[in-house]
Formats: sequence, structure tokens, C-alpha cells
Amino acid sequence: MSAPVEEEYEALLQFMYMAPIGLVQTLADGEITMVNPLCAQLLMPLSPDGQLSNLFVALEAVMPDLRQRVQDFPDGHGTVCDALQVPIASGHAGRRQSQVLSLTLLKLDAERLMAVISDVTQSVRRDRELRQSQAWINTLAIGLTDYALVSLDPRGCIQDWNPSIERITGFSAEQVSGRSLSMFYPGDAISEQRVLDRLHEADRTGWSLDEGWCMRADGSRYWGSCLIAPLHDRDECSTQDEHAYSLIIRDVSDRREAAEALLKAVSCDHLTGLYNRRAFFEAAELEMQRWARFPRPMSLVMIDADHFKRINDQYGHAAGDAVLRHLAAGMSATFRAMDVLARLGGEEFVVLLPDTTLEGAEAVARRFCQLIAGQSVEVGDQAIRYTVSAGIATMDEDVANIDALMQRADEALYAAKAGGRNRVERWQPESHPAIAR
Amino acid sequence: MNTEQTVAFSEARMLEFLESASDEDLDRLDFGVIGIDAGTNVKRYNRFESAAAGLSKDRVIGYALFTVVAPCMNNFMVAQRFEDAQEQGSALDDTIDYVLTLRMRPVKVKLRLLAAPDRALRYVLVQRQT
Repeated sequence: MSAPVEEEYEALLQFMYMAPIGLVQTLADGEITMVNPLCAQLLMPLSPDGQLSNLFVALEAVMPDLRQRVQDFPDGHGTVCDALQVPIASGHAGRRQSQVLSLTLLKLDAERLMAVISDVTQSVRRDRELRQSQAWINTLAIGLTDYALVSLDPRGCIQDWNPSIERITGFSAEQVSGRSLSMFYPGDAISEQRVLDRLHEADRTGWSLDEGWCMRADGSRYWGSCLIAPLHDRDECSTQDEHAYSLIIRDVSDRREAAEALLKAVSCDHLTGLYNRRAFFEAAELEMQRWARFPRPMSLVMIDADHFKRINDQYGHAAGDAVLRHLAAGMSATFRAMDVLARLGGEEFVVLLPDTTLEGAEAVARRFCQLIAGQSVEVGDQAIRYTVSAGIATMDEDVANIDALMQRADEALYAAKAGGRNRVERWQPESHPAIAR
Repeated sequence: MNTEQTVAFSEARMLEFLESASDEDLDRLDFGVIGIDAGTNVKRYNRFESAAAGLSKDRVIGYALFTVVAPCMNNFMVAQRFEDAQEQGSALDDTIDYVLTLRMRPVKVKLRLLAAPDRALRYVLVQRQT
């Protein structure tokens, strides 16, 4: 015989309490009608008002366009978004962690929405590592091209000569001996500090792999896949001075288009081609880890197109898009290849500059500001002129994470806007409490 | 009703009271009481909390609080506070605004988190906010 209804109800209730996935049902305006504990566990740290009455409000900071997406969803019912990955930061100030939430949102009918939310931080990390290993295995499997094998000392400088180096890179023995591996890259693509970061990553994970533009002795570029692997035993308590590495460079130029297209599809903003929000946080997280291991100058620039709404209203959205593309192209031309350039959303852009002081970041941001102010965008027969404002902040030990750094740059950007736009401002510690000017 | 048995949610010497209170004493309270041991397993669970959550005691006593009973508290706002106090061997008495999902409805509550190095049990007290 079946158990009494009350008992079954209680068992069902507990099933929902224990479900290791977040479930929430809301009205069309996001008002939460039912929510299970795991969902509350994930959402409460994000909630700006300490409440859990509205899903859109709770996710406002990390998914500002969710309400709009729901409103724009054309059908009476269906999937508004499917396993969308949302990067967030949670935890106490001082030891915040980056997490990735997965959000699936269903429109049940005109009145009701249902969302499934889960923490996919670990699986995203595993996926990324898997992607990297697969990329490398692919290169081995399909690449018929030659490779250069180089041995490196603990500082990333070339130890031994090997004829394969000349075959691939065109450099001779005298040219490479004792020089840093950065010589195989275009000038602004890798800093000496980044070389050490990569050696450290190889120590930690067993290898460090990247794919990108490399440079031959004659200055010509090729698309290279570069693997650094430690030669010393990882478990051995050898000192840093005894470390040695091998660097394998493969010319995979024939795969460049495919690799770039794949990278673009996952990481890039469709309009501007810069990194999207997700890719930015992924890259920024890596830079923050590097900073935490070895603090060195690192700065961030927030950029916003001035009076962008006015441009949209006056010239139309197509013109607005052209302005954003122009702005992004200007950024690519001004900042270095090693900087992380991204469009956060709307007319808001960000640049993370590794190995760059506040002064350095300010100088390049001013240059960018002047570049934009001095140009116009041709749309049809219109020549649109616009300006940008920028806010700058730099890393120090009081900055707990990328969010906090962005917050400072945002405050500086606000000051630049308040000061009349078309200008660059630094974050000022003393102005911090007086943000509501 | 026996008024001297009624202890306020904000009672200063709450841990002492809870330690000496019988299960019946706890059941007379007008707020929820969850007592957990060092391994975060639920040891005490009063009538108010049982009724609010819709779970009877035998489904809860002996089970892990942050996994089986209240996964919604398993974040830095609640669970982390207990972990920190345990790690540092310090006392904890924090009251925070929170939202529980009692019977899947979001309910605004005040949580009072209590722990002391010399006490075997740690407590989460739950008061509904109106």
C-alpha cells in the first residue's frame, strides 16, 4: 500500500531540499514564487538587496540583460537561454573566489518562468584543460610540419643549440644562445615576466601551451604552437636554479584560420571582435593568479563611449554599431598584444594591462582618448565624431580581486564623466567615500 | 503559558540556555533552533523549525546540516562563519539577515549563528521576519 499523502509530501519536500541543483520558479517580471535551497545558496551572495524576491534583481550585477532577454523572447513558451555560463565572484572580501554559474531559463507560459542554476566552476576548469591538451594532441596527430626543440634554463633563456631551431625560426646559434624565449615572439606579445609565469605554470601543471603569432629571424610571422615542459622531476625538491625546460615550437600556420575561428566563436564579442565578458574574466583570473603569486605592476582601464545613447538616437543603431566597431579597432591599434581587451557590454569596454604601472596605463589611455577624439566614423554619407572617457586603477594588496579592481576603475571613469567627458581619470583613494557627488 | 520559559531570540546568554534546555524547552520557543555537532550533523531540531521547514525530526536528526537539511546555508555567509570560528578556536555570535527556502517559498529570516570553543554543539537560530 502507498504511504500516507503527508509522508509522501514530506519525502518529496526533502527531495527538493536536497537536490544538488538550483531550481526557481518566477512570475514574468522575475518575482520568485518557488525556490529550492541550492538556488538560494548560489543566489544569496549575489543578491544586491540581501533578499530573494526577484530573480532578475538577484542576477542584476552579473546578467544585467536577463530581464530584456525574457522580454525579447518571441515565443509563448520555450528555452530563453540554455546552460549559459555566467562568471561571478563570491566570498568574503580578501579571499574571493571566481565561480561560474550555469543558467538555463525556460518560459513556461505568459505568466511563469522556471530557471535551473548550478555551479559549474570545476567542470569549466576541467573543460579548459581538456581543450588545451586536445589542441596539443591534434597538433601532434595532424601536423606534418617540422618542429624546433629548444632547452631552456630556469629563467627561460636558451641553453643549447639545435639545428631544428634554425629550420623553424631562421635564427642561428649565435643569435639565440643565452637569449630569452621571448625572442621567438613579436615584440609586444610577451614580456619577461610572462616568460617566468609560463615556466611556473609548466612547473605546476606539467606543461604550458599556447598558440599564437610567432616571429622568424627575418621578421616574418607564423602561427605557432608552443609547448613548455619541465625537464626536472616535478616531485623532486630541486631548487629553482636547477630547473630546466624544453620548449617545442611548431609552425601550425595551416591550422591558424580554423584555430582562430574556433577561438573567436567561443571568446569574442560578435560585434567588435574583442574578447567577450566571459573570456575577459577567464583571462583576468589568470592574470590575478599570476599577480598573487608574484605581485608586479598591473593596471586596468575602463572605457566608455561618451553620449552613446545620443549617437544611437540621432543616427540609428547601425551607426551606433559602427561607432563601437571603430572604438574597438582603435583599442586594438593602441594597446599591446599582451593586453586583455574586451567589450563588457553596451558601450562599455575594458583593458587589463599586465606589467604596466598606473602612469604607463594613463599614458596609453590618454593616447587612445586623443586618437578617438581626432577621428570620425563614416556611416553612409555621415561623418560621426565621438569621444571616450576612461578610468584607470592599478593593482595593490588592498585589491582583493578583479571585481574590486574594476570597481575602482569604474569610480575613476565616473569621475572622468563628471569632469566633462573626453578625458582620463585615475582612481583616487580619498574620493572613494564621496562617490555620490 | 509559562512565561519564564520563553527566551527571546536575542537573549545574551543564549548558548548557556540552549545547553541546559531540554527538548521540551526548545519546542516551546517561537523561533527555530538547529544544533549541530563538530561534524555539522544535526543533533537538535525544535518543533518551530520542524513545522516551518515541513520536515519531521527523524528526517533531520543525525544528518548533515549543509547537505541534507539546509543546503542554502552552505556558502560563505553561513557555513564559512562556522568553519572560521572552528579553525580559529574563537566564539561566534552573529545575527544576519537571510532568506530561507521554507517549503520552497523564499522567507525572510534573521539567522543567529552561535558557537564557542568549549561547547560541543553549535547552533543556528531562525527567526521569521515580518
